[in-house]
Amino acid sequence: MSTRRTSLTDKQAKNGTSKYVLERCASINEYYDIAFKVMLLGDSAVGKTCILVRFKDGAFLGGNFIATVGIDFRNKVVDVDNLKVKLQIWDTAGQERFRSVTHAYYRDAQALLLLYDITSKPSFDNIRAWLTEIHDYAQKDVVIMLLGNKSDMTAERVVKREEGERLAKEYGVPFMETSAKTGVNVELAFLAIAKELKHRVTQQPNDPKFKIHDYIECKKHKSSCCGLV
Amino acid sequence: MEEDNHHDGEAQGVKICDPPSGSNPSADNLATSLSLLGNHMFPDQVVRSDSGIIKRDRDENVHLSDATAEEPSQDPEPPSDPEPKVETDDTQNPECEKESAQLTDGGTEGAAMDNGQSDSGEFVVTVLAKAKLEEQGLGVKGRSSPLLEAGIQESPAFISHRDEDVTADSWRQHRKHVFVLSEAGKPIYSRYGSEEALSSTMGVMMALVSFVQSSDNIIRSVYSDGHTVVFLQKGPLVLVCVSSSRQSEQQLRGELLYVYYQIISMLTQASISRIFEHKKNYDLRRLLAGSEKILDGLLNLVDSDPSFLLAAVHCLPLTSSLRDSLSQILQKAITPNLVFSILIAKNQLLTIIQEKTVIEDTRLEPADVHLLLNLIGASSAFQAGEIWTPICLPLFNPDCYFYAYISYLDPPECTVCLLLLSTDKEAFYAVAECKRKIEEAMVAQNSLSLIAKAQSYSVSQVGVSDLRHFMYKPFDVPDNYRQLTQFTSPEMEAPYSSEEEKMRLLDLYRYMHSRIHSTSRPLKLIYHVAERETLLAWVTSKFELYTCFSPLVTKTCAITAITKLLRWIKKEEDRLFIRYPAKYSTTPNPSKSSKGGKSDQQDSTDNGFLSLL
Repeated sequence: MSTRRTSLTDKQAKNGTSKYVLERCASINEYYDIAFKVMLLGDSAVGKTCILVRFKDGAFLGGNFIATVGIDFRNKVVDVDNLKVKLQIWDTAGQERFRSVTHAYYRDAQALLLLYDITSKPSFDNIRAWLTEIHDYAQKDVVIMLLGNKSDMTAERVVKREEGERLAKEYGVPFMETSAKTGVNVELAFLAIAKELKHRVTQQPNDPKFKIHDYIECKKHKSSCCGLV
Repeated sequence: MEEDNHHDGEAQGVKICDPPSGSNPSADNLATSLSLLGNHMFPDQVVRSDSGIIKRDRDENVHLSDATAEEPSQDPEPPSDPEPKVETDDTQNPECEKESAQLTDGGTEGAAMDNGQSDSGEFVVTVLAKAKLEEQGLGVKGRSSPLLEAGIQESPAFISHRDEDVTADSWRQHRKHVFVLSEAGKPIYSRYGSEEALSSTMGVMMALVSFVQSSDNIIRSVYSDGHTVVFLQKGPLVLVCVSSSRQSEQQLRGELLYVYYQIISMLTQASISRIFEHKKNYDLRRLLAGSEKILDGLLNLVDSDPSFLLAAVHCLPLTSSLRDSLSQILQKAITPNLVFSILIAKNQLLTIIQEKTVIEDTRLEPADVHLLLNLIGASSAFQAGEIWTPICLPLFNPDCYFYAYISYLDPPECTVCLLLLSTDKEAFYAVAECKRKIEEAMVAQNSLSLIAKAQSYSVSQVGVSDLRHFMYKPFDVPDNYRQLTQFTSPEMEAPYSSEEEKMRLLDLYRYMHSRIHSTSRPLKLIYHVAERETLLAWVTSKFELYTCFSPLVTKTCAITAITKLLRWIKKEEDRLFIRYPAKYSTTPNPSKSSKGGKSDQQDSTDNGFLSLL
């Protein structure tokens, strides 16, 4: 635990450098086989940007909440079964006033990561409203995944994991709890999405169907597990 | 008479209207100015009102207090310089008479004086009763700063990162508070502390506003011993500044206007009016959620960046050939509905290109550029991405949105920022493609490393000894009708390198500015001997100039120095300013634009902003 904390602070201290070196490599490395658009959705301050930064740069933006303005577009290339998959990720602002600009880009997204904050009941209650919006604006076959973020904050938890699971089941979407702070399940969420999208595109008629639910069930960490940094 | 009003207004009393503005002899050329200075012709009112200002400082130990008023030697009037306190005491003996409300128009002679404590108490009681406020407010009225001291029932449970204990002394001691509330008295924003905890304070503010309003009048300011309270009503919003800085009421009101514009830039004026028409007690914080940082950032910039004071933009000095090549790069990367392309480095403009048809009848106002720069500074925390966001430019058109594309061109340093404004919400991909072209062209021309070398200049380059700093704002950059107003200024160097000293110099400039732009008694030229420096400000029909000299400079030296300085600026003009702002037409150009639009002008009109101009 204590060693992990040190490494985190290390990363934060030099985030200006280490983080952006990564970024530069990514943009030089423009080569990819397929590209998909992924959008992060959810109420303000549930941790959308933090999840993205954790996935993209392996760092945690602690302490200082800065609201995303409008939508923020970033790329990350990941390896899926020896194929280079470029994820073009829209990080959206959770605030109401940006809704109209977010709506304009919903339909481009092939996958949506819908987040709530396990320490905020309203953010969880709003998930149904978000799903309605998704139904109204997004492509019909869009891949949706529900994420309960901030799973490290056990003391402040107000939304039980079972509640999240139940809601996900009701809508038939995969679900897991994540922590941008510790990194639990963050990579997995994006990789599962990438795999699912890649399978959809490259699938041959007699290939076994990729089952995103089963995939994440066998890979995901319960929040009781120690996170990997 | 006019002078007295002015004085009263500054000393105490609620000021409801600006005093009538007087006119001043012009000093449009150096000869005139010389003779003005040499002949000791500065009007004595200068000194008088100066003492008024000093009086306000006295308690706070601000730097000027012991300093000399301008031209002490010329001043025939005893009360002015050596004994500012005498006048002070005369004019403001009753501690609490700041409360004395002057509700009549046009400056209201003398009434300020005879309001004793009881009167003021009564006044506030009336106000509070009228607004049906709860009792807690009552205890605090008679004191010198009721708005600050009003009892607050803050809930300790609600502690967020921007929360401060609003009952603490440290909270009261902030130099400048800014509050925004709705006409229903609902808190919208407070610079320090949470709005929630301040709701009763804001209630008192609204009570003052509506009390004055009930007699068909508008409250403008309240002066107390140490504080100036300025009110600004804009549509359904009320903005209040409580300041212990020595700034003039006009300056503070100008700052509140920036805050208002920043809010408009996020929501548009039309939607704010619409919201409050439908629901008077709407909680606007719902829509502004997440924008506190932007408003905080704006207020910090307003305090530390003279651009706001001068209402002009500061551009980074560049050789004109480099600036031209950057402009050409931007000019070539266009797409339909693109209306502005702006390149920024180190928070200063490098170049700005505008669409021809859009700008024919109007120009981009400095204030709109300031808002854009502040948005970039305050919101691009994780500077790696490409941001696409709606933004309204309130002075261009307060009711419509542009869509801004913001991206840094030089990660990891993130100092060079590209800002592209389109009128089309859906244009992200097309605009992002423009950025790619710009990036490519800049790599080909090695522009980024050239920009990295560009920096602001040192005052020593001017080659005038004794000159420590200056700000020069030409009114009309040659040959360019409707040019974006700009100013130039060197780095602040020793002795102004520490934050405190920078602020002290800025305060001196603000003081000079307030004297030059005084509504009651504007001045053309002012030579001010302060404690640790000497300042000279001069405004003509062609420029506005503020200079700071070492304290021992003589008047003759200063004038000579200014002549030299003006000559130097003239010589360096091409480097210091964006002189020939380029334009483009986003009429389709098949080879350049990814989408083949039809008539761009048509498109623009369809987007609604031209028709609304």
